[in-house]
Amino acid sequence: MSNVVIAGYARSPFTLANKGALKKLRPDDMTAAVVKALVARTKINPDHIEDLALGCAFPEAEQGLNVARNIIFLAGLPNSIAGDTINRFCGSSMQAIHQAAGAIKMGAGEAFICAGIESMSRVMMGGFNPMPNPILINAGHAAYMGMGETAENLAKKYNISRVEQEVFAVESHKRATAAQAAGKFKDEIVPVPGEGGMIDADGCIRPETTPETLAGLKPAFNEKGTVTAGTSSPLTDGASAVIVCSEEYAAKNGLIPLARILSIAVSGCAPEIMGIGPVLSSQKALKRAGLKLDQIDIIELNEAFSAQSLAVVKELGVDLKKTNIDGGALALGHPLGATGARITGKAAALLKREKKKYALATQCIGGGQGIATVLEAM
Amino acid sequence: MADIKKAAVIGAGVMGAGIAAHLTNAGVEVILFDIVPKDAKNRNAIAEGAIAKLMKVEPAAFMSKYNAKLMTAANTEDHLGLLGDCDWIIEAVIERIDIKQDLYKKIDANRKKGSIVSSNTSTIPLKDLTGGMAASLVPNFMITHFFNPPRYMRLLEVVISDKTRKDAVDQIKQFGDVRLGKGVIVCNDTPGFIANRIGTYWMQCGVVEAINLGLTVEEADAIGSRPFGIPKTGLFGLIDLVGLDLMPHVANSMQSRLTKTDDYQRIHGQPAVITEMLKNGWIGRKGPSGFYKMTKSPDGKRSKESINLKTSTYGPSTKAVLESLEASKKGGLKALVEHPDRGGQYAWKIASQGLAYTASLVPEIASTIVDIDEAMKDGYGWDVGPFETIDKMGAAWFAEKLTKAGTAVPPLLKLAAEKGGFYRVDGGKLQYLTTSGSYVDVPRAPGVLKLADIKRAGKPIIKNPSAQVWDIGDGVLCFEFASKMNALDPLTFAAYKDTLKLFKTNTQYKALVIYNEGPNFCVGANIGLALFAANIAVWGEIESMIEDGQKTYLALKQAPFPVVSAPLGMALGGGCEILLHSDAIVAHAETYIGLVEVGVGVIPGWGGCKEMLLRAKADKRLPGGPMPAVAKAFEMIGTAQVSKSAFEAKEMGFLRAKDGITMNRDQVLADAKAKALELVNGYQPPKDAVISLPGATGVAALKLALSGFVATGKATPHDVTVSLALANVLTGGKTNHTETVTEKDLLKLERKAFMDLMHTSATLARIEHMLDTGKPLRN
Repeated sequence: MSNVVIAGYARSPFTLANKGALKKLRPDDMTAAVVKALVARTKINPDHIEDLALGCAFPEAEQGLNVARNIIFLAGLPNSIAGDTINRFCGSSMQAIHQAAGAIKMGAGEAFICAGIESMSRVMMGGFNPMPNPILINAGHAAYMGMGETAENLAKKYNISRVEQEVFAVESHKRATAAQAAGKFKDEIVPVPGEGGMIDADGCIRPETTPETLAGLKPAFNEKGTVTAGTSSPLTDGASAVIVCSEEYAAKNGLIPLARILSIAVSGCAPEIMGIGPVLSSQKALKRAGLKLDQIDIIELNEAFSAQSLAVVKELGVDLKKTNIDGGALALGHPLGATGARITGKAAALLKREKKKYALATQCIGGGQGIATVLEAM
Repeated sequence: MADIKKAAVIGAGVMGAGIAAHLTNAGVEVILFDIVPKDAKNRNAIAEGAIAKLMKVEPAAFMSKYNAKLMTAANTEDHLGLLGDCDWIIEAVIERIDIKQDLYKKIDANRKKGSIVSSNTSTIPLKDLTGGMAASLVPNFMITHFFNPPRYMRLLEVVISDKTRKDAVDQIKQFGDVRLGKGVIVCNDTPGFIANRIGTYWMQCGVVEAINLGLTVEEADAIGSRPFGIPKTGLFGLIDLVGLDLMPHVANSMQSRLTKTDDYQRIHGQPAVITEMLKNGWIGRKGPSGFYKMTKSPDGKRSKESINLKTSTYGPSTKAVLESLEASKKGGLKALVEHPDRGGQYAWKIASQGLAYTASLVPEIASTIVDIDEAMKDGYGWDVGPFETIDKMGAAWFAEKLTKAGTAVPPLLKLAAEKGGFYRVDGGKLQYLTTSGSYVDVPRAPGVLKLADIKRAGKPIIKNPSAQVWDIGDGVLCFEFASKMNALDPLTFAAYKDTLKLFKTNTQYKALVIYNEGPNFCVGANIGLALFAANIAVWGEIESMIEDGQKTYLALKQAPFPVVSAPLGMALGGGCEILLHSDAIVAHAETYIGLVEVGVGVIPGWGGCKEMLLRAKADKRLPGGPMPAVAKAFEMIGTAQVSKSAFEAKEMGFLRAKDGITMNRDQVLADAKAKALELVNGYQPPKDAVISLPGATGVAALKLALSGFVATGKATPHDVTVSLALANVLTGGKTNHTETVTEKDLLKLERKAFMDLMHTSATLARIEHMLDTGKPLRN
């Protein structure tokens, strides 16, 4: 059976929703620009691509219908490429990678574009017509519980203080600031048109973040809670994409693989503590890869919230030194559907850059799920 | 007449920035200039900072937050070339004649032909400003003096010379009147023009006499405010607001420019207490304290202190208790000035000096007494002008009391005393006394239609204690609320029904305008009545009051003639509901609209929920689908959103795109009448609306949103109860989005929800609290 590799990663700048430079950019245009640039950078022959698998958490309005198909048209790619839009909320574009990996293993295609899209400016969380099921709502079920509240639940359950959360967020901004200053995002970012011209840099990072500034914020989700806007990932606009193909295909066609996909997993948990999702999915994926966590050199753990990340760190026993070394979503932003492809592509790219052996990319998912991917350097 | 499309304001201080903001309220593009700060990287920093500040200032300077986009920041070193595009250039820089004259040279070099240049000076006479001015500029130059804050203060004083182009004067008068909504008064070129000439004298007199008579500042402000029809901030409160630091500047300028014989010279001087306060930086609200001081104790309790005028030290504020004040509540100002206590003496000192001084200033500062009365009302917020105040006491009585006190009676007052007053009504028309001793009709600017004038000249067609109906000509009737504070009660609805009947039997009536001259259009139903009914448990009465109101409003909506509502001031609760049922709205720009019923624990019950929902459903700015309109109406009603201007009301969906906004409150009735007549031809009343709503699923979605408000402490337990009742109405009850509901279905839901809430003790507690304190209870 063929091995599956990641042979290219690109993303748009991530900017603040509603106030950032990309709030007026249609998400399909943004994603098409990223996909087009990725194809050009990797020099993959578009005629070989089987499918564009696109993750989106709120596939509605400008990112509605089957937007994946329209992105193929907008990017000027051949009609022969199929397109499908996938929703696993925040795990959507990692799921797109998993789906491509499964297909390649099935012999159902050799090369895929796996992308993610989310303009949280243009399609708000919850969508324009939230219509939850009254049975679940009236039963007090947590199916639709706000994400902030689930973070509060984890803070309580794992006894994570506000100060700990703030220290974690400050570190994320510090790392992202340093990486940005060192030009470490240059290779991955595709400039896209925004307010005031082409936007080529992330807009969510706040280098000035200190424990003191965060300490002054009011709780955002519960008046007696500990989670603030400063310890939550910001609403973000962004798109991301990776090339997923078989190892043979890459070798035959001159593509330079970043990493091999060793294993994948998804898992479920109680929706009111959805943020703990990465624990079980990571454990499953590691087991399938035949690895222990301490063998992992690079971890990309999506930072939906400080409290959520720290709960996973505690439960799973994660070493923070190896985790999100260029900063995480607290600083970079979290455009829901686009995050999975970003952290998987980033983990693969980091293996190469840092010359390490194994990487884990994992994230939590609203409604109570986790998703994980284990990568191996080539 | 040329239109003013683009303007420039030079000087981005409080006044300049405020004027610029108000110009954008009139839809004009504005370039705001200031100097380049020393060693600045950003050479527009001052003007940019001023615009940023304007967006945050309270009360808001912009009528719509989008108006800021009409403003461009510039500096006087790099950008004066931009003046070439401007139709009107307003100078609002520091009051230094050398700086101003230097600037005028630069303006004249850059402005386009036909543009108008004006100064917002409050102290420098026109003749000084134009001294040495280029001949090309003089005919295009005048003073346009705005009052602070420019959006809210209605007075615009204009000073011209005989060299000023007449068409330029007409253009500014017309623009100021119609587009800026101002009361434009052309004043003579005398120090302080009209309002500040009288205002400065009045304040100086008020301070000096309070010290002489040993009054506390609370006593002085209690006497010197409401009994005179002056805003309740009073004189000392006003000085705190304006800033004590400005006082010596204004006073000295006045003293140096007024003639030696002017009575102001007699009272001029800086009392020791003010010198001491200035030394300490106690300059009023801009500083740490003024005559009043707000303190906050460590436990967060706020308390008010005030200065002792003798010792210049602060002590706890105490409410003024004076027999004279009590006497004035029954006997008015006349009883006050006759009272022997220190309050009465103080009132007489102000009245005798201030009013007599004012009476001596015609025709020196203005050609008519009307201009002076209007200037004090529009510029200082007085309810009644000084001449109207004298008339209230009786001109003859006042003149006689002055004579007895040994004070000289000015000739015009003597004339008024002989003739029987400064104003009279003759043949149903209001007339004023001229200096020649004749009475002349009080002029009304073009486009002005005042209900007060119509009322003076005729009798109402329908009249009960809560409402009156007037014939305003051309087949249009005007429905006027007439109860205390314009509260709605069963009699209001009886009058509505009589009006409907009247139209049936009298075919000469073609349209109805709902309007009154305020101060507020209507702040809602008489909730005291509802509470009383609930307390004695006559639930049937309450329900029939609701049902009757629903039927009446629906009948007005579907009546075979157009109904136009014309609000100014607040239109809240039931007052908002009548707007929502009208075919069209012509609102004064300063209209504050909202469905605020949740504040007293109920929901709009006279069709307000239904109408807000129908408006949201028809609003093309909202996304499609079953939820957005419901969510919008839920937000507007559930959080009691109130617009801060008519423009904002349009953005919020209370006004529809086609509804009109009139900047000048005196033109609202005329505009509403014109709108009503415009609708008459081919008028088709709206039919029963049929809409689809999401039912239980929608309630679930709103519950979800509500849970967030509860968690963040923004919703109290009773807020949840009220919101859920509201959610059930707005989602259509037992329905879903594949079915339809009618207006009558929604009215039934509204009624039931209203009654359910009236049965809760928490709602009754809210009503009681509102009646007792005027503030909503958070239970």
